[in-house]
Amino acid sequence: MTTRKTASPRKTASKPRATAKASAVARPRATRKKKAPAIAAPPVEPVIDMTPSMALPSPGAEATIADFVIDDDTELAVVQSDAELGNLFIAEALDHLGTIEAKLLELDDRPEDTSLLNDIFRPFHTVKGNASALGIVSVERVAHKVENLLDLARSGKIQMGGPEVDLVLRSVDVLSLMINDVGQRLAGQPRRATGTEAANLVIEVEQLIAGQLEGAALLVPAPVEIVEAVAPAVAEMVDEPAFEQDRRSATPSRRRDDVPMLAATATAIKVDTRKLDNIVDVVGELIVVQSLIQQDPALASLVDGRLARNMAQLRRLTADLQRNSMALRMVPIRQAFQKVARVVRDISRKAGKSVDMVITGEDTELDRKMVEEITDPLMHMARNSVDHGIESPEVRQANGKPARATVSLSAYYQGSHVIIEVKDDGAGLNTERILESARKKGLVAPDATPAPEDIHRMIFEPGFSTAAAVTEVSGRGVGMDVVRRNIESLRGRVDIRTERGQGTTFLVRLPLTLAVLDGLLVRVGSERCVLPAAAVRESLRPKPEHVHCVQGQPRMVQVRESVLPLVSLGAVLGMGAVALDPSSATVVVVEEGGSRIGLVVEELLHKQEVVVKSLGDSFASVRGVAGGAILGDGRIGLILDPHGIMTMVREGSRRAA
Amino acid sequence: MSTGTTGRFQREELVGKYLTFALGNEEYSVPVLKVREIIKIMDITAVPQVPDYVKGVVNLRGKVIPVVDLRLKFGFPPQDYTERTCIIVVEVALATGARMMSIIVDHVSEVLNVTAEEIEQTPQFGDEIETDYMKGIAKVRGHVKILLDLDRVLGVDGTIAMPQASAA
Repeated sequence: MTTRKTASPRKTASKPRATAKASAVARPRATRKKKAPAIAAPPVEPVIDMTPSMALPSPGAEATIADFVIDDDTELAVVQSDAELGNLFIAEALDHLGTIEAKLLELDDRPEDTSLLNDIFRPFHTVKGNASALGIVSVERVAHKVENLLDLARSGKIQMGGPEVDLVLRSVDVLSLMINDVGQRLAGQPRRATGTEAANLVIEVEQLIAGQLEGAALLVPAPVEIVEAVAPAVAEMVDEPAFEQDRRSATPSRRRDDVPMLAATATAIKVDTRKLDNIVDVVGELIVVQSLIQQDPALASLVDGRLARNMAQLRRLTADLQRNSMALRMVPIRQAFQKVARVVRDISRKAGKSVDMVITGEDTELDRKMVEEITDPLMHMARNSVDHGIESPEVRQANGKPARATVSLSAYYQGSHVIIEVKDDGAGLNTERILESARKKGLVAPDATPAPEDIHRMIFEPGFSTAAAVTEVSGRGVGMDVVRRNIESLRGRVDIRTERGQGTTFLVRLPLTLAVLDGLLVRVGSERCVLPAAAVRESLRPKPEHVHCVQGQPRMVQVRESVLPLVSLGAVLGMGAVALDPSSATVVVVEEGGSRIGLVVEELLHKQEVVVKSLGDSFASVRGVAGGAILGDGRIGLILDPHGIMTMVREGSRRAA
Repeated sequence: MSTGTTGRFQREELVGKYLTFALGNEEYSVPVLKVREIIKIMDITAVPQVPDYVKGVVNLRGKVIPVVDLRLKFGFPPQDYTERTCIIVVEVALATGARMMSIIVDHVSEVLNVTAEEIEQTPQFGDEIETDYMKGIAKVRGHVKILLDLDRVLGVDGTIAMPQASAA
């Protein structure tokens, strides 16, 4: 963050700061010396006579809320004058908060690792510093208070146990909210009510510090700087300027700590995602032009070695460029995993279950959009695992399992797909109970006996829940169907593996990117359409005796042992229903959600990898079409949506019945 | 912007440069600031389940753009496309934000500078003719040019896939 910008908000700070600054110069060396051993040797420093209650009053919540609700003119003046700076701050701060959250979760597992405390403190300090430099006072105040807590923990005066980590995690949430809110406010949106939360948090932090330090020594009184700099109303608390110096002089040494971090990130730059999308667009177009030139008859008639070589080189380079530009959109799945880890931790606490979280493959890269979109479903599945899957410690021990359960989250590549596993070692799915519940809801006929796998898949049906009690987090029967829908909308699928008493695994299979699709080109009337290759099982020219007619219309096709419904693709979509004789046309067998159907198309052209484009919301209500692809000749081919087509066929036959 | 059928615009608001084009014997015009590009008629990919005046989508340098045949939209009889048939790519403001869309017109005429004196309010025709699509009319050198409100022509509710009832 630029220091140039610091000038204006600083000037507005109240006067006492100036004196503090002046005296700060007097003893910087001494204080630093004093601090150094404190970090090296955590044991308590000599007592300084200042009671915790004096330094840490608990002001009434009403009084404090105002401290965190600063009007835009005061707080946003700097960022409003330089929107780019504001956005940079927001992006950076959220980034840092993400790091902090991850490190906190690590700290939760390994409280003895003091280096983690530094890793948490540094970004926190940066966030605070940046907020203060830009004059975003409310954020600075909260961050500052928590920073004090962390600082005390760093110097070993406070133990970072579960409740402390909880509190800091909550502060990360509150700060993210506040910082996002800054963005909203900059965009002209009304402010969200974060004041109460911020105030409560600060009070709790104060109480926690006070509680921990009770009877122990207090070296650095927490609220000094904040009080002096931004909250003159409680300025009477500042009765010992030396503490102020202490903090000030400590700052430069911490800044030095930041240096390696900056150096490490210097190889990466932040880019607006729209710019990346533009590059991908342009490269897609380049590929089309390249192939147009390549196939140009005028060029093809030339027999020239050098030209052929250069054309080949051009093709290689454009293909390379496309691969590279696609890679720009790929990010590690880590961010999603971190959020899941956080949810597992929070919920297991609440449910009184002890859970170890094991994460592997968090460096697996996926399209940025996929990572964003898959986070919620993953969180939901993990929540379900902890809430329904994992037994209470007592039950686990009674069943001869370790009291501590394990939830593992892993990601790995499989061909052009990524597999994400959410696995628990809990009780597994209760097949009988699911079946019973399904019967009650009329999802299964009373006398039917579906295969166990089919029974397990029923938890993905809307409105399905077998939870004995509706808990705060799950059991309302909303969720797993949404999970499946979300995953399917990402062109992925989810499977369950479960064993009674051993645990459950959710297997999510996703394409690497939504931007490219492995497609099968088919001709429908005068149009060419793209069927996702993943949904196509086979294609065939059926023998006339394998086509069965109903009411004089070819309606069924026999494919080996099974008889499939036969539908004209053009008719379903409404692209002009040409009565096709299936034995002279081609039947493409498409499978989606467990059912198969034979689609009659005029011609099967070829397989092609296509770049997926949205048709825009103008065509949002068009069904059976998922988007557009720019084909080799520059024309657009419609990308078909097998799920939508299936639904249309089903509805069509229901209407006819 | 008020929602009355006429007089929604102050005369001053309508002053400026317009691209004029023909549909049959009639002259229409859109503000040049809305026009992104004029291209010759090209291959259009049909999209199913849309009104007949939505011809489909075209690829404009990697972007997928909807195409509306203005003849059909305004109830003219269909006509084969000729050498002079043009696609005008415009930016319209829909409820969901700015979008690139395009219209097919018989031919593009000229860019006109319309002054305040030349602008007249949209006359009332009774119920038969929809005047909502018009911002007003301009009488230039004895010819009447209809000033189109493209945002209304191309998407009353932001989606052209739904057959629209006449605008309220």
